[in-house]
Amino acid sequence: MLPISLVLVFSLLLASLPVNARATLAVQVANRPANTAQQAKTVDQDGASTQTDNEKFVFGKVDEELLSEIKLLDERFEKEGAVYHDPGLDTYLTRVGTAVAADKKPENVEWKFRALRDPVPNAFALPNGSIYINTGLLALLEDENQLAAVVAHEITHVTQRHTYLRNRSLRKKTLAINILNTIGTWNPVTGPAGLAIDLIATISPLMLAISIFGYTKDQEREADLEGLKFATAAGFAPDGMPNSFKVMQRDLEGEQLNSLYSDHPKLQERVTYTSSCIAADARRLSNDEAKHAKDDYLAVMEAVDRHDVELAINAGRFRSAVFVSQKLVDMRPESSENIFYLAESYRMLGPRNAQLTEKQLTSGEKKKAAKTRNKRTVEEIEAELLKTPAGQEAWKANSEKAEQLFLRALELNRFNTGAHRGLGMLYEKLERKPEAASEYAKYLELAPNAIDTERVRRRLTVLRESMK
Amino acid sequence: MKLSIRLVLVILCCAFLHSQAVDVNAQYINPKLVDKTVTIRSATILPAKVEITKESAKGSEMMVAESAEISASVMEAVGHALEKKQFTVVSNSFEPASMDDARKYTLADIQSRYDALLPKLFDKSKDIKKARFTLGDEVMLLNVHKDADVLVFIRGTGRVFTKGKTAFALVNIFSFDYPFAQFTVGLVDARTGEVLAFTKPLSATKVLKDKKALTKMIEKSLKKLPTAPAPAATAAQ
Repeated sequence: MLPISLVLVFSLLLASLPVNARATLAVQVANRPANTAQQAKTVDQDGASTQTDNEKFVFGKVDEELLSEIKLLDERFEKEGAVYHDPGLDTYLTRVGTAVAADKKPENVEWKFRALRDPVPNAFALPNGSIYINTGLLALLEDENQLAAVVAHEITHVTQRHTYLRNRSLRKKTLAINILNTIGTWNPVTGPAGLAIDLIATISPLMLAISIFGYTKDQEREADLEGLKFATAAGFAPDGMPNSFKVMQRDLEGEQLNSLYSDHPKLQERVTYTSSCIAADARRLSNDEAKHAKDDYLAVMEAVDRHDVELAINAGRFRSAVFVSQKLVDMRPESSENIFYLAESYRMLGPRNAQLTEKQLTSGEKKKAAKTRNKRTVEEIEAELLKTPAGQEAWKANSEKAEQLFLRALELNRFNTGAHRGLGMLYEKLERKPEAASEYAKYLELAPNAIDTERVRRRLTVLRESMK
Repeated sequence: MKLSIRLVLVILCCAFLHSQAVDVNAQYINPKLVDKTVTIRSATILPAKVEITKESAKGSEMMVAESAEISASVMEAVGHALEKKQFTVVSNSFEPASMDDARKYTLADIQSRYDALLPKLFDKSKDIKKARFTLGDEVMLLNVHKDADVLVFIRGTGRVFTKGKTAFALVNIFSFDYPFAQFTVGLVDARTGEVLAFTKPLSATKVLKDKKALTKMIEKSLKKLPTAPAPAATAAQ
């Protein structure tokens, strides 16, 4: 009985691994550094995608079912207002994406490159060819080369059929976990042998679960390295890839936690291995070119950056809002609109510091902050901070800065209605009621048909009643 | 002996899984509603978000189309339940085709605010009785009908088991893996954004197929909600 059970357990474990993983497991581990060097050469020499197993990908019933669900999901993003529409941005993303995708047209793929209304820096690809880049990432990136690198990474996920392969692997492993659990529950063997089977049946599902994360990490690494080739082949500067990871390392909200279950390699690791793949004589941008690339990119992104500031404020990501709006003001210091966004960001920042301190960026503090965010609402966290001297000091500084910026925005454009509303809200919070009422009244006069007219009118009414 | 205990547990588990009438209702009402500082006469139901997955022995699969259908059914069921409470359900067009981008974005942002608050509402539901939660007056940006007193947010998750998964669930009784449908209904003041009522009915998956059972479950889950003070107005559906 014992050998049969053990053979069953081990066969299940082996069967649950993907075929290529089984065959090449040992080889991969031994050859990893050599592979990296080889890939560096490939990028440098031919710049084109090499033949992969995935080009022979044959759609099974499971893959087709997944594809049909994905198509519906894609439509739902659109219906639910998750996709950001701006003709200029859409054209720009399509241009960059099409250049990187070049002539790659795998079966059941229709390339679409879109911005997703989400302030979290992230991007993802659906296996039907829809590539989504969050506004939070678009606002964080610095130039077109970095954007091309992100797009190339996502395109690789599609061309290499990662979602389908992950789904297939996950299904096998889940089935194995279910069977192992059953063996563990109904193990008829007693004594030390039974104990051994119990132990294996208990530990194996955990190992399989961990292997799922390991598998996705390998896919991410492949997407980085193949993506680097695609972007380079399309004429984008190769250092866009490591630079995009460096940009993502800015932990503005203190939310990047090292997790055992992360499905991506660490960002620093990604910077290192992608940098090492770039040949010493690869094309690099001169300082002038880099500046132009940055300016051009920022100009294209101005509208989406403003939109992202609004989303970041709505999501309580106030430090990100300050960062992005400061970038907007640095680009066009005389823009009343950009200054207004910076003012709003400082007003909403409230008793927080604009940048996290070194202490706040330690792993322990980040975990503590994450726990607090899970337990308390934004308003409660703010009220607690306001009770501390540091919080009061920050609120004083931020409210002064916000007021100056609102006034500056109005100086540049006295019809900047948002600045009147922002000032009204700031004064209301500062208990400067007559000034708040006056600003609200100006807002209503200048923007009688705005989307938030009713909201401001109600605030004004409540304020006037409290002043009686 | 060891096996016979397991057999009893299996039977108990089977009985639990097959008892389709199991409903667990939890209802939390803001004191302002209880002491009638705030009264509700009319409500606007926002598009529901229900996610149903199909669980097989090989893992879970999305059911996007079915989720959309059930979302519509739950909205209808909530509408009926509110009308039974003498509320007027004010119609507001949130059909994607009838909204421009700006309105779509506003709706999505308000839904996001609620989604961000939802884990806290779920975990600390009792705090609704302390009037702890609000979405802020940004809810007014939706510009719903001026008569609407509350906005109704509906969320749900459900797991439908295939035969294979059911077999595994029955055999692995200690994994406590079972199909279910869990909904949450939040009533939020349309002017201040304060959460006035929250319910989280949990049921067996029968409600996903049976509209009557679903309506009954939702009605039960809103039982504690005070009835509208004025006589019932004609539903503006």
